[in-house]
Amino acid sequence: MALTVLLIDSDDARARALEQKLAGPGFARVVHAQAGDIAAAVEKERPDLIIVDMALPDRDTLEDIRSVSSASPVVMFAGTDDPAFACEAIAAGVCSYNLSGVAFQDVRPIMASAIALFQRHRHVETELAAARALLEERRLIERAKAILMKDRRMTEPEAYRWLQKKAMNESRKLGQVVADFVAIHEGPPQEQRS
Amino acid sequence: MMRIGCLRLTDSAPAIVAHEFGWFAEEGVDTELIMEPSWANIADKLAYGFLDAAVILPPLAFGVDLGLRGAGQPLIMPCNISLGGNTITLARELARAVRSLAKARGLTIAQAFAECLKDRNEPLSLGIVHAYSSHNLLLRYWLATASIEVGREVRLSVVPPARAVEALKSGQVAGFCAGAPWGEIAARTGAGEAVATSDDIWKSAPEKAFAVRAHWATENPEALEGAIRALARAGQFCDAPENASYTGALLSRHRYLDVDSHAVLSSLPGGAVASRNLSRFWRHAATFPWVSHGLWFLNQMARWDLVGNVDAAALVSRVYRPDIYRAAVAPLGVDVPLSDAKTEGAHGQDWQVEASPHPIAMAADRFCDGRVFAPDQAAAAS
Repeated sequence: MALTVLLIDSDDARARALEQKLAGPGFARVVHAQAGDIAAAVEKERPDLIIVDMALPDRDTLEDIRSVSSASPVVMFAGTDDPAFACEAIAAGVCSYNLSGVAFQDVRPIMASAIALFQRHRHVETELAAARALLEERRLIERAKAILMKDRRMTEPEAYRWLQKKAMNESRKLGQVVADFVAIHEGPPQEQRS
Repeated sequence: MMRIGCLRLTDSAPAIVAHEFGWFAEEGVDTELIMEPSWANIADKLAYGFLDAAVILPPLAFGVDLGLRGAGQPLIMPCNISLGGNTITLARELARAVRSLAKARGLTIAQAFAECLKDRNEPLSLGIVHAYSSHNLLLRYWLATASIEVGREVRLSVVPPARAVEALKSGQVAGFCAGAPWGEIAARTGAGEAVATSDDIWKSAPEKAFAVRAHWATENPEALEGAIRALARAGQFCDAPENASYTGALLSRHRYLDVDSHAVLSSLPGGAVASRNLSRFWRHAATFPWVSHGLWFLNQMARWDLVGNVDAAALVSRVYRPDIYRAAVAPLGVDVPLSDAKTEGAHGQDWQVEASPHPIAMAADRFCDGRVFAPDQAAAAS
């Protein structure tokens, strides 16, 4: 039996990836809803299962889905004897509402795919954040060196050694030292203008 | 480590202040503050142990404790967080029509709203923040005083406060009941206007409470008491008018509410001249977990079919824990009520409650329909 799955995700690419995994003959019919438009989508599509991104505030709308659907939704497999699976989903940042009483065993593989995708997405986000932080640190080092070269007439290697020494003396990371140094010497944008 | 969940609301202030100022740490409690986008996340994360505590809506805490909306988890509420702070906001034109009709015909705002609903063919949509919310209960209470029937004349649906302005503008809802600062934000965009506040429905109405997983509380009794002391201290800070601009600026940060600090200020004590909608965090025994508050919430949850047959008195005495509150704040030497309950709605004026070491000045606690809710009667009726 093909299930109807309603996806509500803040990330379009992730939602499409999950749809590709799930959709197929005899497996699931996947529909999407935009945040803010959920009640209407539930009424129209009558999904068996709703998969929702926990970063969205719209989850609360689903809590009251009784107002649009006669069925009582089951939040996150409550009542099944697999709380570890629910924990895995929460940790990945995804949750589900079972609307038509489909057996947990039929829903489980669908949710497992969603959890895997959300986990991978989270992993990529973390790596991206780390890469951004590294770039920002490099930018600040360049900026701090430029300030030292201009104000104190240092050469570039001198400026870099000066910053390294300052970090060592204060037993702080170079990133923190340059961030403070640039903030102090550049100040907030308003002061620069005056 | 105590992991505390909060929403983007003005009355998350005491938890944010205690965390930012290091007051939890000073009490020996290592805290992590987790801002959540939905009440459902708070409920699930408490249920599955991803959070140890939360600034929560008391009806939702009962919902989690009883497993009414998903997995259950025993909770206790050893400390209240705030009184008041909600608004009933209507789309601007409707708000103005209701107000001018009330004025012209000498009606209450609720009665005038009922009059405005009479010519309609289909129910008017109003937003609430969650089925198990004080907003749902207060709004229904207010509507009932004008014999407005939910389901026939109005339809309630859940609209997250962060989406409420959008929903008002698109006409998805004609109004909503939500906590600060969201009514003020709707007013600032010109989309809506407040026609009533918590105080207009129930003066000094309890709003958010601090809920803790009962297992965590049992395993960490000292940390629990320390956390309550830090919250009491933060409650005093947030209640002091001279701190309003500081608290407003702190709350409006990207990491917390991420909204205009002026909108936050408008419901902070001392934050705005003649604000009609204030959250209170300390005065009038605001942090005391009154058992009579818990009984009223359960009484109203039963009234609207949100809870089945429960022994309300037994449930409230397990969940509301004034005994833990008293023990926790004893070293601070602050005034603490002697009784666990009060007669709700009996005071139309300022009054004093028996407390130790000194009586506490209390504000009126009248309901808009003048009814009195006596905890003894409630216990006998259940």
